[in-house]
Amino acid sequence: MLTPEEKEQFIRQTPILGEDGQEKLKNAAVLVAGAGGLGTAIALHCAFAGFGTVRIADCDRIERSNLNRQTLYRLPDIGRMKADMAVERIQGVTPYLCTEAVNTVITVENVLQMTAGMDIIIDAMDNYDTRYILADAAEERGIPFIHGAIDGFYGQVATTIPGQSACLRCIVPHPPPRTKVPALSATTGIIGSIQVTEAIKCILGMGTLLTDKLLLWDGLHCEMDTIEVTPLKECPHCGECRKMKTEQKK
Amino acid sequence: MQEDENRAEKMKVTVKVFATLRRFMEKESQVTIESGTTAGELLLMLTKEHPGLNNELFDETGVLREYVNILKNGRNIHFLNKLETIIEENDLIAIFPPSGGG
Ligand SMILES: [Zn+2]
Repeated sequence: MLTPEEKEQFIRQTPILGEDGQEKLKNAAVLVAGAGGLGTAIALHCAFAGFGTVRIADCDRIERSNLNRQTLYRLPDIGRMKADMAVERIQGVTPYLCTEAVNTVITVENVLQMTAGMDIIIDAMDNYDTRYILADAAEERGIPFIHGAIDGFYGQVATTIPGQSACLRCIVPHPPPRTKVPALSATTGIIGSIQVTEAIKCILGMGTLLTDKLLLWDGLHCEMDTIEVTPLKECPHCGECRKMKTEQKK
Repeated sequence: MQEDENRAEKMKVTVKVFATLRRFMEKESQVTIESGTTAGELLLMLTKEHPGLNNELFDETGVLREYVNILKNGRNIHFLNKLETIIEENDLIAIFPPSGGG
């Protein structure tokens, strides 16, 4: 139940989310995987939307060169752990917000533990190796995975629902080279905001999700496109092969 | 000569490019190809017309950069016949390098 104070806090969004929707968010737990440009934007918007639990995972410390875009950090924070700091900065947005910082690198070995109890995973990583690990964990847990990535003025978002839609590998079968890409807070803000919008819709079962689609943002031309991505029958992760495997297991 | 040209069946496909590829060509263009044209041949046609695309799509040895997404009606040609994938009439071909940063 929402308290009278919480009802007052959310009075401007209950017309679109409903009080029951707001309660669903209060009961929902989200893993923000990464606390960089995307992750800081995502964590903040999750807290303000009213998610009950926000777990933030990042193994890095804050550096000066992060401060053009990682909007939860300030100059005196340089050297601190990102996840710790991000959690500290979003605390107190709602009276009930439960925050957890995970200061370790995400691996195949620890990902199931790291995603335990989560209702949704939001991708704020800077590399596809870890994105695939998280996407696989989301699939194993049967929870949505909201993919997001940026590159300078460009960005992309896709929502994957295990067993129902194209998986991350269908959408990006071969990752781009792992380099330090240009990054702008205006772009991470846009992409992170779209990811949180998807997360809210997933939890509330509202609207149309970015499933079997990839949204492409081009800030340089101020254009947004969504392109269809057909789930692949041949895809070992979301296609026929997996269905067969699941059936064989039964 | 002219008869031969007429005999080869022409068809139109739509090519959409995104992100960095926009530096070299319009977002959406109609391309006329001959029936039986493969994805590889289409890419060569495009790079001939827009030489800047070459380095975006192919490495120094002329091999397609694996990470460049090339979708034929939403299906990545990586899962079809790769560069040998036959392009068909009215196909929508989307080409873009995925973003990777966070
Ligand atoms: Zn798949």
